[in-house]
Amino acid sequence: MEGSYIPDSEPTTRTLLRRLLDTEDPHTPRGRQSTRASARRTPLETPFSMRLRSQTKTTTRRHSHGARSIGRLAHIQTSGRLKEQTPRTLLENILLTAPESSMVVPESALKPVPAPQVVQSPSGESSRGSLELQLPELKPPTTLAPGLLLALGKRKQRLRLSEFQQGVDQELPLSPGPLTEPHGNAGASSLTSSLNLALATPPVPQSVQRPGLARRPPTRRAVDVGAFLQDLQDTSVALALPGDSLRTPVATLPTDTVLEDTQPFSQPLIGRSPNVRHSLPCPSSSAERTVGRRTQSSGPRLQNNSPGRPDQLLVGKAEEVDALAVGFPNTSNSSSGEDGLQPLQDGVGEEAEDVMEESLSMSDEEEAAGAQGSARAEEPKTHKEGTEAEGSWGATEAKELEGPSRDKDTAGRTGSPELTSITLEFQQARQLEFLEPAQPTSTAVLPPEPLSARRPPRARTAGPRLRQDPYKTGLSHYAKLFSFYTKMPMEKAALEMVEKCLDKYFQHLCDDLEVFAAHAGRKTVRPEDLELLLRRQGLVTDQVSLHVLVERHLPLQYRQLLIPCAFSGNTVFPAQ
Amino acid sequence: MEEEEEGAEEQQRFSHQQRLKAAVHYTVGCLCSEAAADTQVQLSRQAVAAIAEVTFRQCENFAKDLEMFARHARRSTINTEDVKLLARRSNSLLKYITEKNEEIAQLNTERKTKKKKKLEAENKNSVEPAEAGGVESEN
Repeated sequence: MEGSYIPDSEPTTRTLLRRLLDTEDPHTPRGRQSTRASARRTPLETPFSMRLRSQTKTTTRRHSHGARSIGRLAHIQTSGRLKEQTPRTLLENILLTAPESSMVVPESALKPVPAPQVVQSPSGESSRGSLELQLPELKPPTTLAPGLLLALGKRKQRLRLSEFQQGVDQELPLSPGPLTEPHGNAGASSLTSSLNLALATPPVPQSVQRPGLARRPPTRRAVDVGAFLQDLQDTSVALALPGDSLRTPVATLPTDTVLEDTQPFSQPLIGRSPNVRHSLPCPSSSAERTVGRRTQSSGPRLQNNSPGRPDQLLVGKAEEVDALAVGFPNTSNSSSGEDGLQPLQDGVGEEAEDVMEESLSMSDEEEAAGAQGSARAEEPKTHKEGTEAEGSWGATEAKELEGPSRDKDTAGRTGSPELTSITLEFQQARQLEFLEPAQPTSTAVLPPEPLSARRPPRARTAGPRLRQDPYKTGLSHYAKLFSFYTKMPMEKAALEMVEKCLDKYFQHLCDDLEVFAAHAGRKTVRPEDLELLLRRQGLVTDQVSLHVLVERHLPLQYRQLLIPCAFSGNTVFPAQ
Repeated sequence: MEEEEEGAEEQQRFSHQQRLKAAVHYTVGCLCSEAAADTQVQLSRQAVAAIAEVTFRQCENFAKDLEMFARHARRSTINTEDVKLLARRSNSLLKYITEKNEEIAQLNTERKTKKKKKLEAENKNSVEPAEAGGVESEN
């Protein structure tokens, strides 16, 4: 009977139990069984646990064919009382049904089952079964099926082994920590579940559901990111064109065509994008002069927007990005002509909050101009999903988001929450991604200099889209460190000011590095330039050299994080 | 012996430094009085002294930076490029310095052209007496 339906050759629970069955006598009294089982259990437990952990999936898969065993078990159990069965048959039943008690959903299987089980199982040895049940810590499964365990009290040692295996199966998804303690408990629960399963239909569909719900398709976003980033970069450059003379000009026509090609609803975008571009530079140019006015004007607008929006959180985040985006044209005042991207960063730091409100006002104007809300919302959102944030992207996104929300267009709104959630995730991913490289710098107060000094090539060659989000998230990370070191609560305005100052500071450092390299007649930043920079900072002295600083503040694991950034040609994208 | 010499040197340096500081303080005082007259804002003596001290220390920093910049460019002489690099922070100052630099460069070129003409004339004059001297010696 055993060999007929135990077809596995792997060292799994089945094989182990089989060994047990082979070695054990079929009719041993409980006392002897207990001693033997306990003696045998401990050496078997660890291999069980190891194997279970490694092969839980395989066991679950293989035991899909346990349907026939279930049927047989049901027949066995329904035909006679449990006490009449031999331990072998019981163990075999357990073997057959053990995998059925899926590790994924033990509770759900247990709960509906215990009722019939209690009815069926005879209550012979109540004391022992209850003792076994009470020992472990898992409450619901054990309490659910005390009757079962009572019935199986005779074979509790062997059941414990199987219980342990099943318990491990169940324990693994729940808590992979202390397996030693809740052995019996888990085993009891799993045993009951397994037995219940024998009587009831196995919870295979339930177990399948959970993994299905947990996962989401990640690949889809990656593709969108690249295309969308490109679009955003084009749009951002086009947007920045009128306001910033230093920026390298990009023809608006190609960007329009690009947008047309990529977006499903090209026509409405064409109508809107010029409005966006034209309207953006005008307020952005004035943004520099009148900060207070904007805040006041945008205040009531914000209040108007807030009540009717399902995606306020996202807008809040998008506002930051908007600030970055609209900050592009604002950076014309900073005259570092070597790289057009530099003004971006300056604008980011300076105009973050102001431009955010500007973008809100911008969206208001767009609304008034004539809105095809749903179409507009869908266009940028499809792009937003995949790409990293760029300034213009953030601007358009916020406008799009605000558009549908303000239009009270149900179609737009229904579309927006999904996409806004996706964009939220995306922004979070961006922030997380940038936080990783930023974290190494948090080890010491000094490291910002070497880290930022080593990053200037990255800042220069990467497109504006890359600089915005990781830069901003890094700054927010530093601001949080700042608030931690102050040991006092800080206002948001103060934190933002700190971010601005940090932004200027890092920009300055990078500029210095460039200038130093040029001073030596080079186009590449070399360690000598870094040394000069740190010497000016007062970090590198005659007593402390550059290498000493590196060893002190950049341990190897952080350097290993930095090296891929540098060797990737400064094209680092956040992980999806 | 050496320590005494060093002590004497230090004292000399110190006195030198003090004199320099005094000069800076005086100049700063004059400038501050001018600024106060322009903006109708009074400056206390402590403020003027603080400004003078800060100016002196900043001059020390400038000197060190200039030396570092020159060494970075693998030169042993401080150049106007180094000075421009030093003044890059302040746009107006940088502009002023570049303008001055251009002026000086123009003056130098003018002087060079003048000197060349003079040298050529002098060479002709010097060659003839030398030849005459040579001829006389031969004789």
